[in-house]
Amino acid sequence: MSSLCRLARVHVTTALRERVTLFWYLVFPLFLLVLLSLIFSSVGDADELTFPVAFANEETSGSALSFASYVEDVFVSLGQSGAGEDSALFDLRLPPDDAEVSAFVESQLNAVREGDIAAMIVLPAGFDNRVLAAAAGGDPATLTVYLSGGRTSSSLVGFIVEQVAAGIDKQILTVLGRFDPQQAFPVESRTVSQDDAKPFEYVDFLLPGILLMGVFTTGLFGVPGTILFGRDQGILRRYWVTPLSVPRYLAGFTAGHAALCFLQFACIWLVGRFALGSTISLFRPLPMVFLLLGALTFLAFGFLIAAVARTANAGMAIANILNMPMMFLGGLFFPIADLPLALRIVMYANPMTYLADGLRSTLSVDTALFPLPIALAVPIAWIVACCLIAARQLRWGVDQ
Amino acid sequence: MSNTSVLSVRDLTKQYGTVRAVDGISFDITEATVFTLLGPNGAGKTTTLEILEGIRRPDDGELTVFGRTVRHVDRTMKEDMGVLLQEGGFEPYLRVREVLQLFASFFRRSRPIDEVLSDVALTEKASALVRTLSGGQKQRLAIGAALINNPRLIFLDEPTTGLDPQARRNIWSIAEHLRSSGRTIILTTHYMEEADALSDVVAVMDHGTIIAQGTPRELCAKLGQTTIIEFDGHEITFSDLASLDARCRELRREGDAIVVETEDFLATMERLLAWSSDRSDPLRNVTVRQPNLEDVFLTLTGRRLRE
Repeated sequence: MSSLCRLARVHVTTALRERVTLFWYLVFPLFLLVLLSLIFSSVGDADELTFPVAFANEETSGSALSFASYVEDVFVSLGQSGAGEDSALFDLRLPPDDAEVSAFVESQLNAVREGDIAAMIVLPAGFDNRVLAAAAGGDPATLTVYLSGGRTSSSLVGFIVEQVAAGIDKQILTVLGRFDPQQAFPVESRTVSQDDAKPFEYVDFLLPGILLMGVFTTGLFGVPGTILFGRDQGILRRYWVTPLSVPRYLAGFTAGHAALCFLQFACIWLVGRFALGSTISLFRPLPMVFLLLGALTFLAFGFLIAAVARTANAGMAIANILNMPMMFLGGLFFPIADLPLALRIVMYANPMTYLADGLRSTLSVDTALFPLPIALAVPIAWIVACCLIAARQLRWGVDQ
Repeated sequence: MSNTSVLSVRDLTKQYGTVRAVDGISFDITEATVFTLLGPNGAGKTTTLEILEGIRRPDDGELTVFGRTVRHVDRTMKEDMGVLLQEGGFEPYLRVREVLQLFASFFRRSRPIDEVLSDVALTEKASALVRTLSGGQKQRLAIGAALINNPRLIFLDEPTTGLDPQARRNIWSIAEHLRSSGRTIILTTHYMEEADALSDVVAVMDHGTIIAQGTPRELCAKLGQTTIIEFDGHEITFSDLASLDARCRELRREGDAIVVETEDFLATMERLLAWSSDRSDPLRNVTVRQPNLEDVFLTLTGRRLRE
């Protein structure tokens, strides 16, 4: 067997035999995947969040005892924060007094399509009469919710509106003296931004994030760990007194790293696909490009850490410091909401943000925040920068 | 013993900042001999060895290895070298056999793994993880890895430091065996008895230069007809010994012992005995010996090896 294959095999077997690395490479990502998807698969407690939502009342009857204005009042109240407690559930946008409702609907529909607001609720003209007719057994009125397909926040709002509307519906029917399961105004959801709209599943959002986290951990901790530990312990020194060259060692090391990443990918994907029922179709060119780019980015980061750290312990400390902001300010597990400026700077500098965004948007589980070329260019720029620094700074303990 | 030169060094220089770690040294090593570099820490032994092993590149000088003259050791030369590093590790989660397979893969030619395992008495430990090995077993594994390519030139850098006497004897006999099978060995050591027992040629290094070179016997002969007398000198002061006068070359205290170096053993001993019977307190723990390499080193540098 060639030295390259041997080195690659050594890299994989030693990583798998060591319990600590096995935990961080495989057990932890799988644990997180299962845990988070179990917790958040039935999202209902979203009272910490505020969703931008448009509300258009097209009913023009304008009578004092209007069901339409009652429904509107309920949603308006959801747009106001409670007395000193939680923030408002909705950041509600209503048509300006002097504007045409139809123009407002048109513009807000675009906003939903662009992902600027989570949803638009439209209460149709003739709502009051239809509700009365429905109470008498006729066809009900319809409350329409326009959602932007594939966006988490949008799906959540759709869910919330349905619940709220069902509550109002029941109240109105009770007032009108009907107690049967008849509905006065069912909610109709319409997805506007995507053609192939499908119901949102948190696991579909989470799985790409966990896959990126896997290559992230392996690169950020595994690479400097192996290199610096090997240098500190004199393991590499024993290699350098043989004909083995540094480039050849690096080639074998990288091949081993790639094998580890692949193994990790296979395990996480299998669990996500078969145990948690994710339906994302990963095996297409662009998602694969983003996963590969992710693996390369964090391999490069690993080399960067190995280059700047003097000892293995220092390297692990640096990796730990980078770990949290890179992982949590990159939108891996949760969609990034409005962050304070300082955190937003970190987010925009973080290659993870672009990788997660690119991977999710090419998988159609989220709308893209960045255009595709940007999502590709930023991680590539990081790879180039890290490799340049590492090539200059990384000390192997041998004159080359 | 043939007279073919396996390795020769001319005016080798290596500078770190303003420190000349190796300051223009030259020597020749003949095939099937043991060449020992002797010197205290910081003398330049390690740097010299690192240059010869191909880890460091010299600033200046010329190396001739296996008949080829080069500026620094290259990969082809390493094919025929085996290096036992003073400090070096193995991946703790590899098995003994896997370590040897890995090292075998670095060379174009290598010996069968099982043969190497039995040579270093690790056959029964072939499937054990490196982290479970004892210090002596790790050292034997290191020797196995160093000999995996059946090298012509072998570097042993302080091979017995930290080993118990039994393990030390084992290493010595391996070294003897290697030399008798025609291998050339470059040894560094702190232990005088090791250098005495194994070396064909000793080069004494200090401050980056070689200050003396020769067989152990030749080096000791440089001290002339000196004899060394040591005795327990717990309550004795130097002024008590004034009567030993000019005949004694050197008088010094080493721990509890008084050490007397003399070129006229009989006269010195007579005075010593006379002085001792005068104070009716017999000398205790008297030893009389010929100078060894340690004494040579002390005379040459004014320092002990392991200071």
